[in-house]
Amino acid sequence: MTVLERQRARMEWQQEQQLQQHHQQQQSNFFGSGFNGVLPMQAHVGQAQNFQGLMMGGESALGEAVTKPDPGLENGWPDLGKFEIPRMGFESVSGAASGLDMNSAISRTSSGPPSVVAAAAAQEAKGKESNLSEKISATGRESSKKRKADKVQNHKVVAEDDNKKDKRMKACADEGDSKVTEQTSTTTHNNRETSADTSKENSKASEVQKLDYIHVRARRGQATDSHSLAERVSRFMKTFFQVSRFTCCNDQYIMHFKISAWQFGFIIVFSALCRSGERKISERMKYLQDLVPGCNKITGKAGMLDEIINYVQSLQQQVEFLSMKLATVNPRLDFNIDDIFTKEVFPACTPSFPAIGMSSNMTNPAYLHFDPAQQMVSCCGLDMGINLPDMGLRRTTSAPVSIPETFLDAACFNQIQPSATWEADLQNIYNVALGQGRLTSFPSQQFTGPIEGSNLKMEM
Amino acid sequence: MHSPRSIRQEFFQKWIMGLQKCRTLKKNMTILERKKAIKLSADLAMASTRNQTTRWSQALIANACTDDDNNNFTLHILDSTQCERLRSKFCSLSSMACSRKRMRSRKILKRSRSSSSVVRVKRSVDQKVVMANSIAKRLVKKRTSMLKSLVPGGEFMNDDMSLIEETLDYIEALRAQVDVMRCFASASS
Repeated sequence: MTVLERQRARMEWQQEQQLQQHHQQQQSNFFGSGFNGVLPMQAHVGQAQNFQGLMMGGESALGEAVTKPDPGLENGWPDLGKFEIPRMGFESVSGAASGLDMNSAISRTSSGPPSVVAAAAAQEAKGKESNLSEKISATGRESSKKRKADKVQNHKVVAEDDNKKDKRMKACADEGDSKVTEQTSTTTHNNRETSADTSKENSKASEVQKLDYIHVRARRGQATDSHSLAERVSRFMKTFFQVSRFTCCNDQYIMHFKISAWQFGFIIVFSALCRSGERKISERMKYLQDLVPGCNKITGKAGMLDEIINYVQSLQQQVEFLSMKLATVNPRLDFNIDDIFTKEVFPACTPSFPAIGMSSNMTNPAYLHFDPAQQMVSCCGLDMGINLPDMGLRRTTSAPVSIPETFLDAACFNQIQPSATWEADLQNIYNVALGQGRLTSFPSQQFTGPIEGSNLKMEM
Repeated sequence: MHSPRSIRQEFFQKWIMGLQKCRTLKKNMTILERKKAIKLSADLAMASTRNQTTRWSQALIANACTDDDNNNFTLHILDSTQCERLRSKFCSLSSMACSRKRMRSRKILKRSRSSSSVVRVKRSVDQKVVMANSIAKRLVKKRTSMLKSLVPGGEFMNDDMSLIEETLDYIEALRAQVDVMRCFASASS
């Protein structure tokens, strides 16, 4: 029995389960008329679902719960239904959904929930990263342990198909687990058919309808980006498929067209590839955000670019200013290098060393750069600012390494790492301060207290 | 990857070397000349710490080479062979970028035509959204072009990805430069 067959068998079992549940719920009329029943899927579509499970696996706890035959499903089912409700509005756009007989409608909602989760997570992400990791673990972890084995099998299945794709998809899935901050747009796929053979009672349901939706959402900022997922998918759809209807609401594109199973799988792969590219760019943007102070709170590409432009300009102007200053100070370009060099190697210490500025800088890195005048005055503050790129780089190196299993550890690692670098730097500064104090009659005693205090703060 | 400390040291050493060369080249300079020499040597030092790895540093050196006023300074500071090599590289790069630009403009023309037809088809409700989208797009485009003009060699970065990466690197180098220069100024004054 191959992995695929096993998967299929499992799928059938799950379908039966869902049928039973569905009947129960039909009895109690729990979800009202808006509810769409779940019926057996075709084998090909099931495969597609496998793909999707792989794609979305990172983000979706509940989406996986659909593909996974589990006794716990009975508990999880009402939740799924709950998530389903908000999306009813979109489905009723077609007008064909709600009127159909529950038995005859096959609805596939594999990744509806993650859009909700991701949206919530994205909002949280603006605030605090550390909170986010907890949130992910809370939402996504529940079932991830249980489905680990499934996931591995999925990978194997794909590996038979295509090695290269598999690699990329793996990367996607992993990223999905490790990064939800970048996860700003989700594709949700709804595939609905009415099957003729189950239509004993209704003549309406007997006519074969095929209504498939590809439902692309994008946040407002992303709709403007030509590289964004929504844009690319819609462009792709326009060119390659006959889009019968294409509507563009405020921040989401809804398209209606007919697709077959292989097309569905292809679209999923395509969207995943798009997303990985988009994620790369948004990752870089994020590092830029880390690098440029004051950029943390700004959402939207235009605002961020503004901030970056301002920052680069201010730095360039500072270079101009400083070169002018040096030119005035040294009339013959005659620098006493031996004297200066000892100081320059460790530029951190100047007599005006505000330890308070340092600690507040740690809590709010944006603080320095809104005030360039002050930056001119306080030299060591700048040094602390310069340590930030170090942190950013460290994060770049550590982020791709983190695999989903060790995600929590990685999050902790990320949290700890900066403080470690801070500590090292502080130690360095401290040492230098001592050394320098000897040279320039620098009251070193005065600074040991505050520095240690801030050091402790950082470790908290 | 370099640690920031070592980058600073390297930059400082190169800068001082460049300054010494400048001093030997010309004895009596006006203040503006001096300023120019200092800035140029600092820029070149910054670029040469990241030499051959990033596009902005190449572009910076090449720009310094092509500029007539700075030419003899630059040649003095750097090896002439290296300078020539970079300049030729830069020229080929710019010509390539020009051809690409032409192609792109054609593409844009096409796209604008097609999009206008699409807009006509859409309903009035959508038109507002399309308008807003286009406005936002224009804003982003404007800023991107501005950023391109700020980062040396930015005109030749066609995709967002490379532009962002280069900007990241450039900001880091600029920070190091400003830091070292400030300390230098405070120490020498």
